[in-house]
Order: sequence, then C-alpha cells, then structure tokens
Amino acid sequence: MATNVIEVKNLQVWFPVRRGFIESLTSKEQRWVKAVDGISFQIKEREIFCLVGESGCGKTTTGKAILRLEEPTGGSVKYAGAGLTPALVKEAATEAVRKKVMKKDEAEKDVAKGAVEVRYLHKAKMKALRQKMQMIFQDPYESLNPKQSIYDIVAEPLVVNNLGANEAERETRVKKALDDAGLRPPKDFMWRFPHEVSGGQRQRVGIAGALVLDPAFLVADEPVSMLDVSIRSEILKLMLDLREKKGLTYLFITHDLGVAYVFSDRIGIMYLGKIVELGPTEEVIKGPRHPYTKALISVVPKPDPRMKTEKIILKGERPDPAHIPPGCRFHPRCPFAMEICRVKEPTPLFVSQEHWVSCWLESGEAKQ
Amino acid sequence: MVLLEVTDLKTYFKTQEGTLKAVDGIGFKLEKGQAMGLAGESGCGKTTAALSIMKLLPANGYIAGGSINFMGQDMSKVTGDKLRAIRWRDISIIFQGAMNALNPVKRVGDQIIEPILLHENVDEEVAKKRVQELFSLVGINPNRIREYPHEFSGGMRQRVMIAMALACRPKLVIADEPTTALDVMIQAQILQLMKNLQTELELAMIIISHDLSVLAETCDLLSIMYAGKIVERSSAVEVFSNPQHPYTKGLIAAFPNIKGDRKMPASIAGNPPNLIRPPTGCRFSPRCYMAQEICKNQEPPLIEVLPGHFAACHFVQPKG
Repeated sequence: MATNVIEVKNLQVWFPVRRGFIESLTSKEQRWVKAVDGISFQIKEREIFCLVGESGCGKTTTGKAILRLEEPTGGSVKYAGAGLTPALVKEAATEAVRKKVMKKDEAEKDVAKGAVEVRYLHKAKMKALRQKMQMIFQDPYESLNPKQSIYDIVAEPLVVNNLGANEAERETRVKKALDDAGLRPPKDFMWRFPHEVSGGQRQRVGIAGALVLDPAFLVADEPVSMLDVSIRSEILKLMLDLREKKGLTYLFITHDLGVAYVFSDRIGIMYLGKIVELGPTEEVIKGPRHPYTKALISVVPKPDPRMKTEKIILKGERPDPAHIPPGCRFHPRCPFAMEICRVKEPTPLFVSQEHWVSCWLESGEAKQ
Repeated sequence: MVLLEVTDLKTYFKTQEGTLKAVDGIGFKLEKGQAMGLAGESGCGKTTAALSIMKLLPANGYIAGGSINFMGQDMSKVTGDKLRAIRWRDISIIFQGAMNALNPVKRVGDQIIEPILLHENVDEEVAKKRVQELFSLVGINPNRIREYPHEFSGGMRQRVMIAMALACRPKLVIADEPTTALDVMIQAQILQLMKNLQTELELAMIIISHDLSVLAETCDLLSIMYAGKIVERSSAVEVFSNPQHPYTKGLIAAFPNIKGDRKMPASIAGNPPNLIRPPTGCRFSPRCYMAQEICKNQEPPLIEVLPGHFAACHFVQPKG
C-alpha cells in the first residue's frame, strides 16, 4: 500500500470577526468565520486528490492551511514525503511534546511513520520544508509580476530560499524547470515578460516557479479555470506527465466537476467548510449519494444541445460561513431536508470501501 | 423579421506595430427572439464584433468595411444623438466581468434609473417602479434597490447587470461572457434566467463565450470565430451534431464530458495567430491536423454545406 503523503485530520481554520469598541465591552461571545470547519482526508503518494465546491466553501483555505500559508486553528496536518530526514522527524516530534502540543504516544507514532505534524513545525523549518510543498495559483494573469522577466520570476524561489551556489547554477535550474513545464527551448522564453506570452504559457511559468524547488507535493488552486477550454487539457496533461516523471502528489482545487472528473483519482465535495462526500472519482460522479453532489453534477453544462438532462438548480447562494446553519449545514438549500437535518449534524457513513457521505438520507437507509 | 444583419464587417485597430485586423469580414443574420452564440478562443475578435455593433470601440479602433443593418439603419454610419438614442434603448450589452462594472459608490437602483430617465420621458417615480419590476423579473427582492453593489454577491450583481441591460426594454441584448467568473451553480441560475427572459420578452440575444457548453444550453444559432473570421455557422444543434470545420471539431472535443467516459479531452495544439500579420491562406492552417499545400496559399470561402449550415474549409463539400 502506498504511503499517505498528506494526512489531514479534523482541520479547522477559523478567522475571528473583528469586534467594534462597544461590542468588545459587552460580554458578547467572539464570533468566527469558520472557513474550514473540521475536515479530514488523506492523499497517497502519486495520487491526485481533488477538492470541489462553490467559491467560499473553504477549498482554497484548506490548501493554504496545509502549506501553512494560513495558520490552522485546530486539527492536524501530517506530511510524510520527500525532504524529511529521520533526524528532522524526531526533532519535530520531541519539540512538539516539549511544547505540550502533542501527546507522547502520538509523537512516537509519527516518528515510526516518518511523518511530521506541519502545524507545530518551527517557522524556519516550515520554510525549508515548503520547498517540497508548493502551490500553483489560479490566475496566471495576476499571479505573475509584470515587471519581472520570466527568468526572474522562476528564479525568485531559489533566491528566497538561498539555493544555488552561484548564478550559473541557478540558471541551470531555471532552465530545467522551464523545460519541465514545457516552455521549450527555455532560452526563448527566459528573457521575455509575462505579457509577451499566451495565457497557457503564463500558467506554465507559474508551474515552473513551483517546480524549480523540486517539490514532492503540489497544491494546484484552479490552475486551468482562467484558461481557454482549448488549451486546458494541455496544462492538465503536463501535470499528469510531471506526476509520472517526478512522482508528484497533488491536491487539486477546482469548482469545475468536468475537469475534476477527467483529472483526479479521488474527489472530496466541500460545502461550507466541510466535506460532505468523498470517494474515488468515477464512483462519486457516476453514483453520487449526497443531494449537493447530485445537484452540482446536474448543472455542469453539457457540450451538446441534444443532451437535455434534468437540472437540480439550488435556490439562493451558499450561506455565510460566519453564520453556519445548525444541524446539517446544507439543509436550508436541500430539496430533501427532513426534521432531523435541522437539528443534528450527520456523520460520515461509508457506502463502499472508500466512498463515504454525510447525509441523513443515507444514514436512514442504512438503518433500515 | 430580420432584426440584425451583419455583412462583411471589418473592424481594425491602429497599433504601433501596424493594423490589427481583429474582425476581418464576418456576416450573420439574427431574427427577433433568436439567440446566437459567438464562440472562439480569447483574442479571436468576438468581443470586438460586439463592440462594433454597439459602436463602443476604443479610440484606435474603427470599422473598416461592411455594414451592420439594425432595423433598417446602418449602425456603422449612425453617429451622435441618433446613435445615443439607439444605444441602450434598442441594443444593450452585458459586459464581461459585469460584476465589477457597477459603480461602487452609487446605489444599484439609481444606476438602473439613470438610463431610463435619459431615454424615456418619464418621471422618477415611474422609473423607480420599473426598476422594482425589473428586479423581481431577474429574481432579486425589489426592496434591495437602495443597496450598494458591495452588498450583493457575485451572482446577484450579475443579475443587477442583466436588469440594467433590460431597463429600456431593448430588442437586442449582447452578453459578453455572462457567466465566466461565476460558480457552476450560479452559472446554471443565470443561464436559466437568460433563457426565460429571452422567451418571455422575445429578446434577440448574442451571447459571447469561449465555453461552447454554455452556448449549447442557451442558443438557437451558433457561429464559431477564429482569428477574426467566422469559420462555421449554423443552428446550434447542427453545429454540435454535424461539425464540419476542423477547428469546430477541435473545440467540441476539448470538453470533458461528465456524462461520457473518463478520458482526457483533446486539445488544439499551438496558439491563435497574431492578427497584425495573420497567416496566409486559411488562418487555421498552422494548427490544423489536416492542413495541405492549398491551405497555406488560398483562403477557403464560406460555403453552404447544407441549407443554413456554412463552413470555411477547403475540405468540406456542399452536400445535396
């Protein structure tokens, strides 16, 4: 069995709601925006795990929290991939125990598995580890500095991390990264500026910027949603190639189920800070169990006017993560909401070996 | 009744490097109540075509040839007050990234009242009432007209923009990438709304998108644009069921089909050409898998393959 590169357990990212002066004098409770509210999943080595959901459901925050670009407020994120040495794992575990943030037996288990708890890692160590955990951003039109040449953009991570003994070595690494990202020959692209290349090539620059540090785990946040449909699959194919060649593991974040369907191995459907259904891609898309998943699948536009399918269009928009409804958080928009859904939160229920769903409809069936 | 007839429209831009031929001889007809999709990759000239019809081209852009016949008037020649009278009253546009096109410091209601007061001889009370009607038409609570844009979510702002486009009861609405920045669920809501409005108000629409699947769901007619030219044009069903041009075939194949097998869709290799110096012959030939010698030298005419189905490729033959 392949090892889990990433293990997320009960991860929470809450942001405090700022209180006004008067409010701070009253004993009113601190309110929180619960962007990510207790989610768990694992990503195996060389696996593509996809988080799907509407904007504001917390999928990007999850990706950032794993890399600690956003500080988690609860739960755990364990990483067990390239870039770790037994000494480092041990040191991280001892430190966590000494700071009394982790129990001794848990720390011992981590050491045995060769995993580190990302949450308690010291800042400097996290920075070093982040070379192995990189992020690809959504918008290649906005995430690249327009005043920097492509060479400077791709070389920047090396400079920041003090890598590469001299300029010549850096240049070799930049060229290699550009070549890996499919910008060939690299010398034709190196001295151009972002506005001089096409959208697809810009996203390749973004990918090269992540590759230059030789990572093992990549968080790809909507890497193709800003691109024309005709070039999307080229970028996706590139990412698949890189997995083969470099043994990369991906967390892929998207709102587009069509892309998730063709690209990922497993899918997690997120709604308002929680995963409501998780399973192998084919199983989830062909046999969705949660009403939200069913609705999402039904509204994906079909590229054929002859295909008329019943659409489940949910009324309204997602509620605010600062005011999460009680019970099942999907119940105000759910066409099948029952009494229990309004009061009690459903727990995950396995419908097959790897496929689970959090919904009272399923639990009811299972009980009978 | 033909509402809009565009013939051989050419829109060029003056740039430092030379003349950029963004739209280079396109033509189509649109009848009352019909929705036409205009599809193509970014930079193919689809937005420029729309702006030419509205006559909203930037200073360095000009209509170099052809005609735009809208209800008996040639829009390419109309200017001044006459033009201002047509704009928004007869033709309106929902801009790309519309959610950000609203003025952030003005109440949404006032922003919609403005064109009504400008175009029609009504007092503010009547206009306000109209705005409230428009809001309920597009599915927003009419009491929200005094709110500011930031109080609306992205999907709601898009609805406001649609309400604004309908303010003066136009006959033709142009929607430029109306759902591109929206989530799938909101996209489905907006597309359904547009489809309903189109039938209810007998609106003619031109919907511009790079996403063929969006057009497949909303349009009766479909035109595929490549590098400033229409390469294929027919009814939407016909284009999807019987695509003729290799580019159209490529675009259709580029979609992941959630109902079909799980396989990576094909992509079209290469990039769209530079429109200052477009390739000779067929403009798609450098990216085309079936390109021959003739494609590099000779431009293919737009021929009628089947009644009402046009395609511009050397390898399509009219079928009896």
